Amino acid sequence: MAGYVPVIGLEIHAELLTHSKVFCTCSAEFGGDTNSRCCPVCSGLPGTLPVINETAVEYAVKAGFALGCDINKFSVFDRKNYFYPDLPKAYQISQLNLPLCINGLVPVEYEKDGVKTTHDIRINRIHLEEDAGKLTHNDLEGVSLADYNRCGIPLIEIVTEPDIGSAEEAKAFVEKIALLLKYAGVCDCKMEQGSLRCDVNISLKKPTDTVLGTRAEIKNLNSIKAIGRAIEFEIYRQAKALDMGQRIVQETRRFDDNRGETRSMRSKENANDYRYFPEPDILQVNMTDEQLMSIRSDMPEMPDKRLIRYTENFALSETDAKIIINEKTISDFFDDSVAAYNNPKAIANFIISEMLRRINLGEISLDDIKFSPVNFAKIIEMAETEKINKSNAKDVFRALIDKPEIDSEKLAKDLGFIIETDMAKVIDVIAGVISANETAVTQYRNGEVKVFGFLMGQCSKALKGVATSKQIKEELEKMLKN
Amino acid sequence: MDLQTFNQIAELGKLTFSDTERDELLTDMTEIIDIMDTVKNADLVYDPLKDNKNVFINELRKDRDEPSFATAKILQNARNMNNCFVVPKVVE
Amino acid sequence: MNLTELSLRQMRSALDKKEISSAELTQSYLDNIKKTDAKIESYVTVCEEAAMEQANAAQERINANEVSPLTGIPLAIKDNICTEGVRTTCASRMLEDFIPPYNATVMEKLNNENAVMLGKTSMDEFAMGSTTQTAYEKKTKNPYDLEKVPGGSSGGSAAAVSAMLAPAALGSDTGGSIRQPSSFCGVTGLKPTYARVSRYGLIAFASSLDQIGPIARSAEDCGYLLNRVSGFDPHDGTSMHMAVPDFTAKCGQGVKGLKIALPKEFFEDGATEFVRKTVLSAAEKLKAMGAELVECSMPALKYAVPAYFLISSAEAASNLARFDGIKYGHRSEKGSTYGELIMNSRSEGFGREVKRRIMLGNYALSSGYYDAYYGKACALRQEIREEYNKIFETADVILTPTAPRTAFGINENITDPKMIYYSDICTVTVNIASLPAISTTCGYDESGMPVGMSIIGKMWDEETIIGAADAFEKTFTRIPAKGVC
Repeated sequence: MAGYVPVIGLEIHAELLTHSKVFCTCSAEFGGDTNSRCCPVCSGLPGTLPVINETAVEYAVKAGFALGCDINKFSVFDRKNYFYPDLPKAYQISQLNLPLCINGLVPVEYEKDGVKTTHDIRINRIHLEEDAGKLTHNDLEGVSLADYNRCGIPLIEIVTEPDIGSAEEAKAFVEKIALLLKYAGVCDCKMEQGSLRCDVNISLKKPTDTVLGTRAEIKNLNSIKAIGRAIEFEIYRQAKALDMGQRIVQETRRFDDNRGETRSMRSKENANDYRYFPEPDILQVNMTDEQLMSIRSDMPEMPDKRLIRYTENFALSETDAKIIINEKTISDFFDDSVAAYNNPKAIANFIISEMLRRINLGEISLDDIKFSPVNFAKIIEMAETEKINKSNAKDVFRALIDKPEIDSEKLAKDLGFIIETDMAKVIDVIAGVISANETAVTQYRNGEVKVFGFLMGQCSKALKGVATSKQIKEELEKMLKN
Repeated sequence: MDLQTFNQIAELGKLTFSDTERDELLTDMTEIIDIMDTVKNADLVYDPLKDNKNVFINELRKDRDEPSFATAKILQNARNMNNCFVVPKVVE
Repeated sequence: MNLTELSLRQMRSALDKKEISSAELTQSYLDNIKKTDAKIESYVTVCEEAAMEQANAAQERINANEVSPLTGIPLAIKDNICTEGVRTTCASRMLEDFIPPYNATVMEKLNNENAVMLGKTSMDEFAMGSTTQTAYEKKTKNPYDLEKVPGGSSGGSAAAVSAMLAPAALGSDTGGSIRQPSSFCGVTGLKPTYARVSRYGLIAFASSLDQIGPIARSAEDCGYLLNRVSGFDPHDGTSMHMAVPDFTAKCGQGVKGLKIALPKEFFEDGATEFVRKTVLSAAEKLKAMGAELVECSMPALKYAVPAYFLISSAEAASNLARFDGIKYGHRSEKGSTYGELIMNSRSEGFGREVKRRIMLGNYALSSGYYDAYYGKACALRQEIREEYNKIFETADVILTPTAPRTAFGINENITDPKMIYYSDICTVTVNIASLPAISTTCGYDESGMPVGMSIIGKMWDEETIIGAADAFEKTFTRIPAKGVC
């Protein structure tokens, strides 16, 4: 079963980080007691009307900018009609012919057979729509229970062209999209909470085929890992079927995470006929060039640009730059720190070796970093300018985590780490060490240089906070020569 | 209108009919569709831009959340359990 | 003083001068309802106790001289307008027990003024029809002849006003549902410019056509009531930030110099000879009063009915999909799966006409038919709008019959859908083009049934059509409904 080329397209749903829902004023926050974030509008009561949220439109446009899309300055909403118990109006307000964003392009970097590859994935469209509610199943009573809190949470659907060729590429693409959306500030991309969800369309063809094969759609994948596994299984399943001369059925499939398999969802008697038509309750949305420019000017610098700046201007290694860019909060923190102390490499090293470790240990919350970049940068500056020993910088940092509002220089002082540079005392102490260790001194002068370390250790211990190691070392060398 | 189309349309609207109802409706609909078919003679194309009401993004509702309704009010016309709407068990 | 014969303005004045109390006024209407509504069946729900409580609350405001124009004035409300805590049925088995947890915006406005709600009036089921005979409970009769239909869908509101069971009422108009029953029942009804009145809380039939409006005993009363319910509403994304002028400003000013267009197609097809003559002689009367008559044409009228049915049915099919018995409304006892339950609930809860429109709407929207039907209908809507714009280049208002014929017999048993649907030909283009129009009585046929004429205005120009209708009404003596006497 070789020789097939997978053709993959994705539909990514991302919930937007607005305060209120897309068509009513209920809170759009995740969770809440069942049906406690509902009103007549989002629970589909008769007579109610949707009123569109400005920020939801703005965020969809920002997502479009982040993914290199063109924006339709005239955009229309449509109704997608279907019955399902999580959809109280029995139609979803969405966009069909004139979505907010079209024709995007997202470059994705991933490893293909161990080789780093870059591929541009085309984005067909991004449209704004509303999320549906949630069903839970009560086996005891043999019923399903509908909760509409999630109904009306603004959602963008990102639809790619079938440009993706492997599970690795699909995973890298979704990771990239998540990163871009987080940078644009429009989605928190928490797949485990469902704020980012992915449907995969996949078919196989022979390399020489000019037409695409029949595709299967795998619905609602909610982790990067599941996306990869589902695609791999589907490639295997379809290839096996094709090898056996079977035809692939166009259908919707569900991925079973426990078994690592996709399974056909119960097919509905009717092929879906969504009977789209323009939503008469929502007027078309217009945007001027000025308005688009103003939205664009709100966008932060995006990851690809930051990578260039970090590697070219700051001379960071690509690996280090990527580690920092991978979290917008960190990257912003890094930039602010560099603004306070212009030593990007040192700051990057300290962030990667110390700060990220503390974040992983849970000592610092990424969503709520309590100390300022200025105060943080000061630690690195002190270490780099040998105001404190480099080894002590970590301890000052830990103190800063505990007392984020205290000036880090004061913290270093309180810990006794500030180096005073009293050369008279240095000479004094070294002289004392030399006279107390005559044997070692003689050995050194006879060419046994390895005892220098021992002597240095003696001096350093007695000179903690008085001078830098460099100063002690230079002085010791000088005095040993005499 | 043929019976198969009729059944498909009925399914789309989640409606069922007795045989008598169906036969009556089929006759009615065939007649009404004849009327509707006359629009096909009009040599016109819909232009969405002509329906533009010139509403701009900055005129849309500002993103402020307000208190929701009491759950009991949302559920007051429904069969409910555990503050949820009760649906026959949905098998996926 | 016969309390039930006062105009709204006279009521206001009598209430403010403490010549009458709101309770007396309200009681006099409740008495009339008790006396005659068993025959007319215009109310689905009469809010006797609540109305008296509201009247007393209003009286406190009146006594404190803190009145708004409708404080203490009783009104009837069509039963597709959501009233918090008061059953709102749309005259359907589907919503037989539906108690809205919220108020329509128009109800909020009326309640803020301490207007008094006498009750909820009957209608064609979900406003689909022109007879009020598709109502599940109250199939309203015409007060001029109890054997005849009151028109529809706002038949309950029109009949209540006509039979002195309410001084004025709110109705809704999707394709003529205010104007045609007003015409049949010999009262005045106004369909405002689309987006003039908030639709929030109006249970939707066809969203792009629906509009709430007043039915009253005069054009001036219509304007008076319309002023109180108009205006931008943050709950209705289609409502417009338009100034709300005094709609009665042109009342009493006559029609001198008013250019009235008579589109010939409205007088050619469909309208009976009697209706045609009556409306044309009303036009001559207006001319004699100083108006100028302008001939004009609307070629697209031949497409109006199918375009209207395509658009309204398609939107209705979608709007009515939410009635599944799960969240509210009739829930079938049959059906063990979700699919079966909602199918049974809908099939049991909806009446025949509603089902027919859902079927048609889904047909028009279904894949393969969309462009030929719905797409074409939307193009025709644009064409009809343009034809109206053209007429308004040379005219201030347009005069047409409101309905091709006067009220027909309940037992006339018109089953031909073609016949029923074409009865809307005079009214639907106004909804399609989002225009305001007012219907007022201009004559009576040989059996004493009222004939209505419609005056159509430019977008947002309700003042002019109210003024024109008022001018006509001041020269015309109405014959009170005899069915109630």
